[in-house]
Amino acid sequence: MSAFSAGDLMTAVLWIAVTLAFYLLARRIQGAAGGTPLANLVLLGAAPIIALIYVADIELNAYMQGGKVLLWLVGPATVAIAVPLYRNFARVRSALLPMSVSLVVGSSVAVLSALLIGEAMGASVETIRALAPKSVSTPIAMGIAEEIGGYPSLAAAFVIFTGIVGAVFGAGFFTLVRIRDARARGFAMGIAAHGIGTASIFREGEVQGTFSGVAMALNGIITALVLPLLWLAFA
Amino acid sequence: MRLAGRLCLAFLLLVACDSAGRLLSWAFGLPVPGTVIGILILLALLLSLRRIPEPVARVSDFLVTHLNFFYIPAGVGVMGYGALLTRDLWPVIIALVVSTFLAMLAAGFAFQWTARLTEKREEQ
Repeated sequence: MSAFSAGDLMTAVLWIAVTLAFYLLARRIQGAAGGTPLANLVLLGAAPIIALIYVADIELNAYMQGGKVLLWLVGPATVAIAVPLYRNFARVRSALLPMSVSLVVGSSVAVLSALLIGEAMGASVETIRALAPKSVSTPIAMGIAEEIGGYPSLAAAFVIFTGIVGAVFGAGFFTLVRIRDARARGFAMGIAAHGIGTASIFREGEVQGTFSGVAMALNGIITALVLPLLWLAFA
Repeated sequence: MRLAGRLCLAFLLLVACDSAGRLLSWAFGLPVPGTVIGILILLALLLSLRRIPEPVARVSDFLVTHLNFFYIPAGVGVMGYGALLTRDLWPVIIALVVSTFLAMLAAGFAFQWTARLTEKREEQ
């Protein structure tokens, strides 16, 4: 067992408190901006902390003493999606066909377009390997990247960047291209932008959030099963 | 005070579902992430109960509302990978942004068109 000193505990508590303070501030800002998803809470919350760490020359590891506690809580908080899923269960069950079609199409486009654009732009093969699983949640993406020979930590960074892009622009983009069905908006968000997208579209409505959560889970499973095989064909 | 205790129990239930899911995923080498199995365990519990116990509903709704909060350290952590990104910065940004929009477009229309073709009555 590794020693966990009182100092570590204080560091963890301090950084959790700092994160909470910036989260509450981010909510204020989002509220003042009329609740637009453009003012994304992960982005607004993380940016000042990054600035603080950089300016005060603090080690990222020190911040992560607290950060990893919150990241661990992503698990139980994601399990909580079972509650809105239960409330909307009939709706989800009656949409099995649209979900299946969307899953296959969306999942393929998410992986293949990342591979092909990365290749066309001249990215190195190590980078492309880490790009491929960018639309699934972090632990799955890291596992897949490892399996196909990419850097897991690089894959994790790409996943989070992807999630923020989806969360910030998704809702506006769906409206622009006239994807109006609440279920389709949620499902597409979950396919493209996993948990960070899901967290953001729950603020639009419970139906959107539920379908996003379902899509995130299904996409994680199908990508983990299919991508390593697809990679053999691509390479 | 009794309410606080029941809310704590509800939170522990979520932790237990998540942990059980992770354990199952690890023990059987499943490609399904543990947390997803955790969602299924809680869903199965609710379906067999046929209702949502009040404390579970309150804790879950609270956590889901504030899901963004727990992802903030992930956003901060990206900074740590900045150094790895010096070489392929622009290919990466373009690939990620364009691919994310394409995936949203493809998945959204695939869902919407299939729903329109198969459902006679538009939902809401």
